Amino acid sequence: MAKTYSITLKIHRYNPEEDRSWIQDYHMEAGRILRFVDLFHKINDEQDSTLAWNSSCEHGQCGTCSVIVNGKPLLACELLVENAVHRFRTTTFIIEPLDVAPVIRDLMVDMEKAYEKVNQVKPYIIEPAPLPVERDVYPITPNELELYVNATRCINCFCCASACISSHKSFLGPNAMLAAIVRVMDPREQEKEERFKVLYSDQGVYRCHSTQACTFVCPKEIDVAHFIALAKEGAIKL
Amino acid sequence: MNRIFKKGPDFYCDLLIIGTGGAGLRCATEVLEKRPETSVMALTKVSHPQKSHTSTAQGGLAVVDPRDPVDKNIFHMFDTWKGSDCTADQNIIKKIIESSWEQILWLENRGMHFSRDIEGKLSKRTFGGHTLNFGESLAYRAVFEADRTGKGIMDTTWGEALKRGIRFLTQSIATELLFTGNQCVGSVVFKQKEGEFIRILSKATIIATGGCGQVFKVTTNCRQNTGDGLALALQAGLPVMDPEAVQFHPTGIVGPGILASEALRSEGGVLRNKDLKPFMERYAPKMKDLAPRDLVSRAIETEIRQGRGVLNPDHGIYHVWIDLRHLSEYVLDMKLGEISHFFNKFVNINPKEELCPVCPSNHYHMGGIPTTEFGEVQNGSQDTVPGLFAIGECAAASFHGFNRLAANSILELITMGKFAGERVLEYLKEAPAETSKAEGEHTLSLFSGYLEAQGRDSLGRIREAMQTMMTGKAGVFRTEAGLLEAVEGLKELKDRAAKTALSTRGLIMNQELVRRWELDNLLTVSMVIACAALNRRESRGAHYREDFPERKNEYNYHTLTTMEESGRIEFGKRPVDMSILEAGGGHAQKFGMIKREY
Ligand SMILES: Cc1cc2nc3c(=O)[nH]c(=O)nc-3n(C[C@H](O)[C@H](O)[C@H](O)COP(=O)(O)OP(=O)(O)OC[C@H]3O[C@@H](n4cnc5c(N)ncnc54)[C@H](O)[C@@H]3O)c2cc1C
Ligand code: SF4
Ligand code: SF4
Ligand code: FES
Repeated sequence: MAKTYSITLKIHRYNPEEDRSWIQDYHMEAGRILRFVDLFHKINDEQDSTLAWNSSCEHGQCGTCSVIVNGKPLLACELLVENAVHRFRTTTFIIEPLDVAPVIRDLMVDMEKAYEKVNQVKPYIIEPAPLPVERDVYPITPNELELYVNATRCINCFCCASACISSHKSFLGPNAMLAAIVRVMDPREQEKEERFKVLYSDQGVYRCHSTQACTFVCPKEIDVAHFIALAKEGAIKL
Repeated sequence: MNRIFKKGPDFYCDLLIIGTGGAGLRCATEVLEKRPETSVMALTKVSHPQKSHTSTAQGGLAVVDPRDPVDKNIFHMFDTWKGSDCTADQNIIKKIIESSWEQILWLENRGMHFSRDIEGKLSKRTFGGHTLNFGESLAYRAVFEADRTGKGIMDTTWGEALKRGIRFLTQSIATELLFTGNQCVGSVVFKQKEGEFIRILSKATIIATGGCGQVFKVTTNCRQNTGDGLALALQAGLPVMDPEAVQFHPTGIVGPGILASEALRSEGGVLRNKDLKPFMERYAPKMKDLAPRDLVSRAIETEIRQGRGVLNPDHGIYHVWIDLRHLSEYVLDMKLGEISHFFNKFVNINPKEELCPVCPSNHYHMGGIPTTEFGEVQNGSQDTVPGLFAIGECAAASFHGFNRLAANSILELITMGKFAGERVLEYLKEAPAETSKAEGEHTLSLFSGYLEAQGRDSLGRIREAMQTMMTGKAGVFRTEAGLLEAVEGLKELKDRAAKTALSTRGLIMNQELVRRWELDNLLTVSMVIACAALNRRESRGAHYREDFPERKNEYNYHTLTTMEESGRIEFGKRPVDMSILEAGGGHAQKFGMIKREY
């Protein structure tokens, strides 16, 4: 017989029509390498079809399935039952929606609202630098890219923003900072001033207390705090 | 509108894009760059455009640099033609491949971070079926952004669309196309966050809803790939072309079906059976592990059927191994970091020390809504439908015929997205104003039916039964008897679904209601796949009939299927475009009905 675990999920629920919140317990037998999204599917299929939760790629690439498990923001599609039992030393898991935007139903939050902060830093090239003579693109050397390539790997799962102790109201958040830093460090972007204004505004990097919680939770293992520290020191001006 | 539903005010726009993957957003940016005053609205089912499925494409994007000393566009065209098992349309192959390089520049100049080597040249990797000199040797043709090429495309096109003032509606599903006469004038939309139905009236509408992988039990596709676009077209009486052409990726990670990209084999990974023997040399003596996907998938399934597979106890699934242990740390950590990490993450296996379990996983739908080379949707008589376009995986122009080559899909998104954008701009110059008397009666009766059903059954169980049946009877291997069973089974499942009561009452973010609607779409798409597979009594590309294992000339055409009512399918044919062959000249003879051997 393959090994299984008897687990309990205590899921935070919210019904928008009745404006009612409660915590609901689900018990199940789960195989070692089932993921938390598999458990949510199982709940929908076998126990309770009303539970609403979010996912898309289900392989850690899109940042849709973020939830808080026993206090830690993480991707539900990457958390294996076996790893969860070892990591949290329990078979009972409290699952909450991410606290970065209003909850719409159960575990689903309004991601469009959360993204407004990323949109504010303009996640695109505002003013492209002129192409070098006789070139059809502006090539970035591997050495130049190395300096900020990790920042480009962010999938906007908002786990860092959720873990950040700085107030969600006054700080644009670690992932929005990363998006701005990418385009400051990208030699193809000419408009740096506008970016510095946002980065060093009263919603910018100085709101960060350097706790490194963002780095700690990032499922993409990006050293977010390192980039923010560079920005604070002014070390991103190439 | 029906009283039980909340109805929001109508929206008006010039262009409505249903689906914000790479295809939809490339098209949006083309239109907004060329004509900034165009009002463009884009819908997505997911919580944000960036969460679209394109973000997960890892491997790369096939393209030939015009300055390349050895590779040529004509070789890429040949490989695509041969890969398609001589069923792609040659006018499309030519048009897409000849404009591919320009699209790489477009992306890079707008912020994509393609990987480059120390000398600053674009890095390239090779994929199954890509060759130099008409099959002579491997071609290094796919450019990439590390192992997140699709994400690079999404970040770039989403950013550009945002910059140029696109209007997004997220967590919103298009449920019905609206027409005035034969002209498409928009769509009915269910806004999940508000729990309300609205009409969006538009001068032009683009369907860019992606794939339908959820038809099958093990799939690399995201959860939202439920074939909605195909179901929308069928419901409007429009055809779906070549639905039977479904690709299975040979190396899905056992369990979640997550794709372990060709890049693993392209960098030297080797497939081994239960006895740890490499087996691909028995099936494709020349290309071995790098043979095209359908060949490798059938080889793996055959190994398993002949008792040389391994059973995974947790998932109860048979598989073979991929051996990566001999690859250097550099290759595993730097070049394949994210993919080799998948094994660690999703099955707790360290690929540096252990063999990794893989089995064929549904991956891509070559079939789709038939279009012209500009993405204009065609009806059953092959006339274009005014105001309606389709691009991306849900469409079939057809660039891939009966089998897609790796790295050719995201190439198709960015090229066809651009071509459709150009055509939309022309169309908008003379398009009549968008008005419609239609109120979305179909949607309302459908959704009231869902909410009123009283029977006790489980959507999950019905969906699971459908997926198991489609995988077993309409998957890698197909037979007459199996397909007939599938068609009968699908009818029963459709009846069962119709009676199933839902438990969630409110409409706001009612995921059960959405799943119910998706199940209908999946059953519809499954039905056209199974019927078309039954109709095509030959084997071609990814469509493999055990009872008719050879390709036959009498089937040298595209299947057109329409479905006026559930289960009643009518078939038509669209000829395969052979214009490269017909134009004659140097290499024309390579573009005849050649054998697909590797
Ligand atoms: C794991 C994986 C790896 C891949 N790697 C590669 C690769 O390396 N190279 C390559 O060429 N190809 C690759 N592919 C294939 C390629 O990624 C897809 O074919 C392609 O991304 C599809 O893009 P699209 O724009 O057509 O659709 P998608 O990106 O799937 O987008 C569809 C959009 O439509 C929306 N939508 C769907 N239905 C509705 C509805 N009813 N109403 C409103 N919106 C709707 C969705 O929310 C989404 O926004 C890969 C595929 C997978 C699964
Ligand atoms: S290091 Fe700064 S940004 Fe990161 S979690 Fe701490 S306060 Fe927030
Ligand atoms: S930095 Fe990491 S944790 Fe934060 S949003 Fe990006 S991927 Fe998620
Ligand atoms: S669903 Fe995409 S990251 Fe989990």
